[in-house]
This record gives sequence, structure tokens and C-alpha cells, in this order.
Amino acid sequence: MADSEPANQKPAGRTALISVGRIWTIAASTFTQLVRMKTFYFLLAFAVLLVAAGNLNILFSAVEQLSMIKKVSFGTMDLFAWLFAIVATALLIPRDLEDRTLYTILSKPVLRIEYLLGKLIGVLVVILLSLVTMFVIFSALLHIRTIDFLHTEVAILEQAGRSQEMIQAEAEAIIAQGLRKEMWVALWAIFLKSAVVASVTIFLSTIASSSLFTIIISTIIFLVGHASQMMIDFWKDQFVDNIVVKMLAGLFRIIVPDYQIFSFYEGIILGEKVLPHLVWSMTGMSLFYVGVFLLLGLLVFFDKEF
Amino acid sequence: MSVPAVEVTNLTKVFPVSLRKEYVVAVDNLSFQVNAGEVYGLIGPNGSGKSTSMKVVLGLMAPTEGETRIFGVSSRDVRARNDIGFLPENPYFYKHLSGAETLKFYGKLCGMRGRDLKDRIGELLELVGLEHAKDRRLGGYSKGMLQRIGLAQALIQRPRLVILDEPTAGVDPVGSRQIRDLILKLKEDGISVFLCSHLLEQVQEVCDEVGIIFEGRMRREGKLEDLVSIGNQTSLVLENASSELVDKIERLIETEGDGAELVEKGNPRTTLERMFIRIASSEKQEKEEN
Repeated sequence: MADSEPANQKPAGRTALISVGRIWTIAASTFTQLVRMKTFYFLLAFAVLLVAAGNLNILFSAVEQLSMIKKVSFGTMDLFAWLFAIVATALLIPRDLEDRTLYTILSKPVLRIEYLLGKLIGVLVVILLSLVTMFVIFSALLHIRTIDFLHTEVAILEQAGRSQEMIQAEAEAIIAQGLRKEMWVALWAIFLKSAVVASVTIFLSTIASSSLFTIIISTIIFLVGHASQMMIDFWKDQFVDNIVVKMLAGLFRIIVPDYQIFSFYEGIILGEKVLPHLVWSMTGMSLFYVGVFLLLGLLVFFDKEF
Repeated sequence: MSVPAVEVTNLTKVFPVSLRKEYVVAVDNLSFQVNAGEVYGLIGPNGSGKSTSMKVVLGLMAPTEGETRIFGVSSRDVRARNDIGFLPENPYFYKHLSGAETLKFYGKLCGMRGRDLKDRIGELLELVGLEHAKDRRLGGYSKGMLQRIGLAQALIQRPRLVILDEPTAGVDPVGSRQIRDLILKLKEDGISVFLCSHLLEQVQEVCDEVGIIFEGRMRREGKLEDLVSIGNQTSLVLENASSELVDKIERLIETEGDGAELVEKGNPRTTLERMFIRIASSEKQEKEEN
């Protein structure tokens, strides 16, 4: 057996107030955990789906087909991001508790906020990397298909003896459906949405002891969140001067995030212009929601007994 | 006098059991201390409050009343945990990490980095005999191996206090002996050890001081030798005594004993286990009578 250190030697690490190093250590471990859980098989499925969608050129025109590739791709990215944010986040804390890994982590000089932040960041890094990977695959395929359609359509129109104006118009229509740098904003919107979903889920998992309960409630909040603004407007119309309703609506707005603020990305992928103030307000709202739910989670987790 | 490694003062922990204001007192006004460099064993049956006390000491639970301190720092203060290494009962670590990665993870949580961490990992893998399995994922480790990697993670930041909850639960006799030797080695190096165990023989082998807890209250506490000795009995241990001499002594007791009588020949001693059972059953009997 090797010698242990003498007891009077100072311990190796000293505790700072909040340590970025410890947060990152937990985030990195969460990242490894999720990656080794074969998360990235989803990416393979995504690539296969995209290639299949990109080659279905039986029924659609070039413009329609490019539009379909974009809708399928972003729809899949969106689905992956929010679903993964709910399921992965809901599993993390209860599993640590069940396996008593939480005991060994929290008996080290780790603040509870560091643990929560580390878990959240770990999930978000996996989502971000997955989204970027999917976006790169999507961009490559879209670019290849755009060039392909452009050559084919132009050749067909030239053969058919169409005018240069008509050929030009068709070419522009195809290019307009191709890759645009604004699509990064759409990707950013999907990521921010998943960050809000993950923070809601992490808050719920500090209260609940069951992953299934967390997944169900988080999904319900997600679904209701798509109609929250509509519901608030309805209540306000029905009870115009009622202060209690106004307060309840305000509380509802905080408890149930308005997921509709992210939906403008659908317009972006179809070629609409990006309005900078919408991007800023969406980013600000997302940070607000993440902050609120993280704080609520911390309030519960801070005094939680294990 | 040096600051105690663990100081538990009038600790009470109450759990609500329903919404009708019903409570269970898990720990009732418990006080004890583990002196620096000492091996202290807290023993008691299931549900006696051992693990609850341990969790309060570790800061995983808040006391209802009283306080716990680690080297003078409140358990609620995260800095107290710089000095603690903890091994829970039947530990499960991240299955996706290898043995070396697990130690690296815990080392980093303690602020260790670079060469120091790398060397420490190598040192501990050697200490617990898992060098051959350092790159294997923990999902493929046996129970005994998990216990040993658990011990290594507890020691990663060179803590001054090691807290062990049933350290040999589910470990085979050989592994159990290794853990016992390791505890003795820690003691030799001046590291304080606070352990809970059901394996009373083992507690007897390694502990300097023992506390017996039953229904949340400390029933007996003290130096091991004092606890296991029988106050009104005296043992004479003779070497190479002839049977004539033994007979002579017996006759002497009969004739000039002044009330003294020979209880048994041989080595009159109790075991911690026997004493523990005696205390537990008398408490139970007392409770039933009331």
C-alpha cells in the first residue's frame, strides 16, 4: 500500500464562493454522461431523415422541395431540442439521488447552486452541439440540393426555349429557398427555447422525486406555454378592470413561459426578414425565464434534505 | 487541546410523517465528539439514527436543534467539506466513467488540477488495488471494487476526516480485511475516522472510541477498553500455570475469598456485540414495560 499524506497537510483545494471550475467539472461530467448514453444516435437518425427528405423529388417542384427540406430539418431540430431538454434534465437529479452519487458530490466542497448550474449547462452544451451538428448536416445537404436544382431547372428551361427573364426569375426563386445566414437566428431561437424548457424541468426535478412526474408536468407546461399569451389576452378581455385577474395573469406569465416568442423562426426559414428587436427581446425573455426557474430551483434545492 | 474532528452538540432531528402534525424523532439530543486522529465508531440497529446523524454532520440535512461542527467549522458551511472524505453505504458512482475518470472528477470538485491530481489518482489506485481496472467503466465493477473506488474518492483531496457509512457492507471477507487495514493505516497517518457499522467485531478491531445509539439517543459512549471491560470482575491471565496452581487459587478463593467467587476459568471478557445486544434488549424491555 502506498503512503497516505500526513493529516496535518492542508487539503488540496480551498473553497471559493462560487467556482467556475467546479461548475464546469459537473457540466463536463453531465455532458460525458449524456454522450455515452448514445444521445448522438439521434443525429444519425436525423441525417438519414434529411437525406431521405432531400431525395423525395417525385411530387414537388424544386422550390417546394427545398422548402420541405428546411421545414423537416428545423422541425426535427426543434423536436429534438425540447424533447431532449425535458427527458435528459428530468433524469439527471433523481438518478443521482437514487444512486447516492449526489451524497458523494455534495459531501465535497460543492455549493448546491454549482451542482444545479453544472447539470443545466451540461444538458445545454449537448443540445447546442447537437443542434450545430444537425445544422451543418442540413446546410451541406441544402446547399448541394440548391446547386443541383439550379443546374437542372435552368437546363430544362433553356432546353424549352424560355426567356432569360423567366430563367432568371426561376433561378432567383430557387436561390431564395437556399441557405441564408439568417438561419442561424432560427437555430438560436430553437436553442433558447430548449434552454427555457430545461430550466423549467430542472426546477420541477428539485421538487419531484419521480422523473416521470417531472417529464409529464414539464411537457404540460410546454404545451400550455404555446397558448399562454392567448389565454392571458382572453382573461384580460373578459375581466377588463379586475386587478386580481391582472395579478393572476402576471403570475401565470412567469410560471408558464410564453413559448410562442420563439415561433418566429418558422418565418425566417421560409425567407422572411429577421427583425433585430425580436431577436433581442426573445433572448432577453429567455434569459429572464432561465434565471427565474434556476432561482426557484435553487430555493427548493438549497434546503432540500437528502 | 486540538479542535475535535467532529463535534455534535445536542443534536435533534425531527421528521414530519404526515400533514396531521405527527412527527418522528430520529435523533434526540445527541452529543459526542470525534477527536483528531481518532477512530470513532457509531453503532446501533437500523433506524436508530446513525445515518441521520451522519447526514447532518455532512451537511446533507439540517438539524432541527443543536449543531454539528467539523474541525470547528459548522457543517452547514461548505468550507467544512474541504476536510471531509465520505463513503456512503453501497455507493454507486457514474457508471459512464472509468475508475481513473471518477477520481479525476472528484479531485476536480475539490479544486485539484494538473500533476498533483494525476499523481494522487495513481497513488490512490495503487492504495486500493485498482490499477489494473483504472480504465474500465464503473458499470463493469464488482461491488467490492465499487467500495474500493469509493474509498479512493473519499481520500482524493487528502481529507483530515474520513466518514464511512457501513464501509464493508456487501464486501467479501478479504475485501473487508483490506478496508480494515486501510482504516488502521489512516489512523496511523493521523487521519480521523468516523464510521457507522453493523459489523461489531470490526468496530471492535479498529475503533478507539465507540458510541452506541438506540432510538436516536446515545446509550453508552467511551473508550473501547472501558466499554468492554466488566467492572466487578477481575481476570488473572496466567501463563504456563499448572493445574495444581489453578486448583490452589480456586481453593484460596473459596476459603479466603470474602464473598468473591470464580465466575469462569479462561479469559473472562465480553464482546462489543454481546454488550450491544444486552443494551438494545434492555431498552426494548423497559419501553414495553412502560
